[in-house]
Amino acid sequence: MGTPGRVATILLLTAGPGAAVWSGDTGTIRGRVTLAALPRAGDRPAVADLSGHRPAASAERARAVVYLDPAPRQAFDELPAGRARMDQRGEQFVPRVLAVTAGTIVDFPNSDVTFHNVFSLSAARTFDLGRYRPGRTGSVTFERAGIVTVFCDIHAHMSAFILVFNHPFFAVTDADGRYNIPRAPAGTHTLMVWSEIGRTAPRRITLAEGETIEADFRVARAP
Amino acid sequence: MSGPRRPPLAPAALLAIALVPAGVAAQTPDETPRTSPRYLFGLDVAGTFGPRDGDAFFNYTDYEHNALRLARVRLLAEWRATGRVSFLGEVRTEDGDGAEAAAAYVRIRPWPDRALTIQAGRIPPVIGAFPRRAYGRDNALLGTPLAYQYLTSLRPDAVPATVDDLLRMRARGWRPSYPLGTSANGPGVPIVSTSRWGTGIEAEWRVGWVDAAGAWSLGSPAAPEALDRRAGRQWSGRVGAVLPVGLTAGVSGARGRWIDAEVLALVPADRRRHATQSVVALDVEWGEGPWLLRSEWLWSAFDLPLGPDAAGPIQVGTWSGFVEARRRLHARWQLAVRAGRLAFSRVQGTLDEGRRTPWDAGVDRAELAVGFRAGRGVDLRAGWQHNWRARGRVRERGFPAVQALVWF
Repeated sequence: MGTPGRVATILLLTAGPGAAVWSGDTGTIRGRVTLAALPRAGDRPAVADLSGHRPAASAERARAVVYLDPAPRQAFDELPAGRARMDQRGEQFVPRVLAVTAGTIVDFPNSDVTFHNVFSLSAARTFDLGRYRPGRTGSVTFERAGIVTVFCDIHAHMSAFILVFNHPFFAVTDADGRYNIPRAPAGTHTLMVWSEIGRTAPRRITLAEGETIEADFRVARAP
Repeated sequence: MSGPRRPPLAPAALLAIALVPAGVAAQTPDETPRTSPRYLFGLDVAGTFGPRDGDAFFNYTDYEHNALRLARVRLLAEWRATGRVSFLGEVRTEDGDGAEAAAAYVRIRPWPDRALTIQAGRIPPVIGAFPRRAYGRDNALLGTPLAYQYLTSLRPDAVPATVDDLLRMRARGWRPSYPLGTSANGPGVPIVSTSRWGTGIEAEWRVGWVDAAGAWSLGSPAAPEALDRRAGRQWSGRVGAVLPVGLTAGVSGARGRWIDAEVLALVPADRRRHATQSVVALDVEWGEGPWLLRSEWLWSAFDLPLGPDAAGPIQVGTWSGFVEARRRLHARWQLAVRAGRLAFSRVQGTLDEGRRTPWDAGVDRAELAVGFRAGRGVDLRAGWQHNWRARGRVRERGFPAVQALVWF
């Protein structure tokens, strides 16, 4: 996975209800995440290939996930069992970073012209969908919180991340690094940022009812 | 002129020199965030542990290592100098037996919008499919298919003077010896060598589902050469198709002089053109769900000029094929089996009461392996390989083996 601090991040993601108190009122947390460096591609030299064709590394690598940790206590009462999608297109997973709540079913459609495979050996979810043809979709339910790193057994250069949360208070940054967590419970929380190159130090915030808090982060590459 | 010719480290040194200015350049500030890396590195460490095989030599390679009792380290590097030009290299060591620049070449894509790739230097082989996935995770079994590893009794640096000379060496591919050429000990050659790559130039073009590749390089399919001026030259090519039904198929061929120039100087002048190896190969791969099936079939003909006492030059043929299946039982577990055969054409000498008989001893091989994917770049395998040979002192032998593969 190449993500320093991974173990600590998993512990944070999987933590149960903590000290945060949810009053039933909500506010908004938003801001921008900048990365000190783009993640390394994680690709290997294709020395044995006759062409070495690889898709260009995508700017999707710059995505980050901002989330509350630990989760507000009542957040567990209304977890939506949703459905999400991670496409396989141009020999890349799109999006490269996906964040979902526990119980979500993620579909992996093959939108390429060649066969693909999706597998993960992550502790949070170990699976292998086998090889499947263009136009078909494989699906996986993610029950446990944690970080799931996804690969294609056929195309070694394909990888992606699925972050599974026990609560809905998270957001994936957009192409400009901006994020928005609406309807976050009022109260005092710890805000965390995960990215492929590392994570930030936890930041304490206090959110009042109807308030919008701006919180910007800069993620340095983990040593 | 004895034993396998190990090329010098010159290609690796050239690559290292080429990488030095790249490293300096990498330290300069780059205001524009790069999404594509300029440098790529990879490391493969493979350890296979099986019993010794000092009398049957079923698994010895043309580098005189036992493929089922082998420690191999590969360091891979790529420098993407520009959007169109990359330099690639591989330094390899087997059983700690020195380092070799197994690959060192430049990759050029002249037109960004066309899928044409040109590679020049010590380049990967075009023929078949297995030679380009012979290492690590791409090989579901522990051993190597017979066509790509088993040593026939032919040598490029020594040839028989008569058919009987050839017949006496049946099942002795580990150490064949012949009157014309070197008298030093040395191994025979497989049909197609995967242990070494030749120096040359190749081009590959992809259009939709079809890709076509052609190459001109030193040596022959059985004995590619890096820098040896005594070696022959070969043409090779492959046309493949990746179909949306999960089927990949390719037809390939190669033709080139396989006997060293110094050896040819010892045979009658009118026979020196009889020194060509020709190969035709068919490779097929199909995979769906947990299944992956692969099969390859190779036919090869070797010209033998023979000596002045022989009636004339001959051509000996060999064919080999294998079928393998892999089933993934779980995200971490897989089971793989392979069955293969290597057979030889018949020749007629005075031995065996003058009957037509295969010029080398045919071999059958069955292999099974259980694999455990411990991590993204860590595979552990255990398996059994059984071999049957038609002649020779040892005609049947089985080998248990375990293997650990680590790559990143």
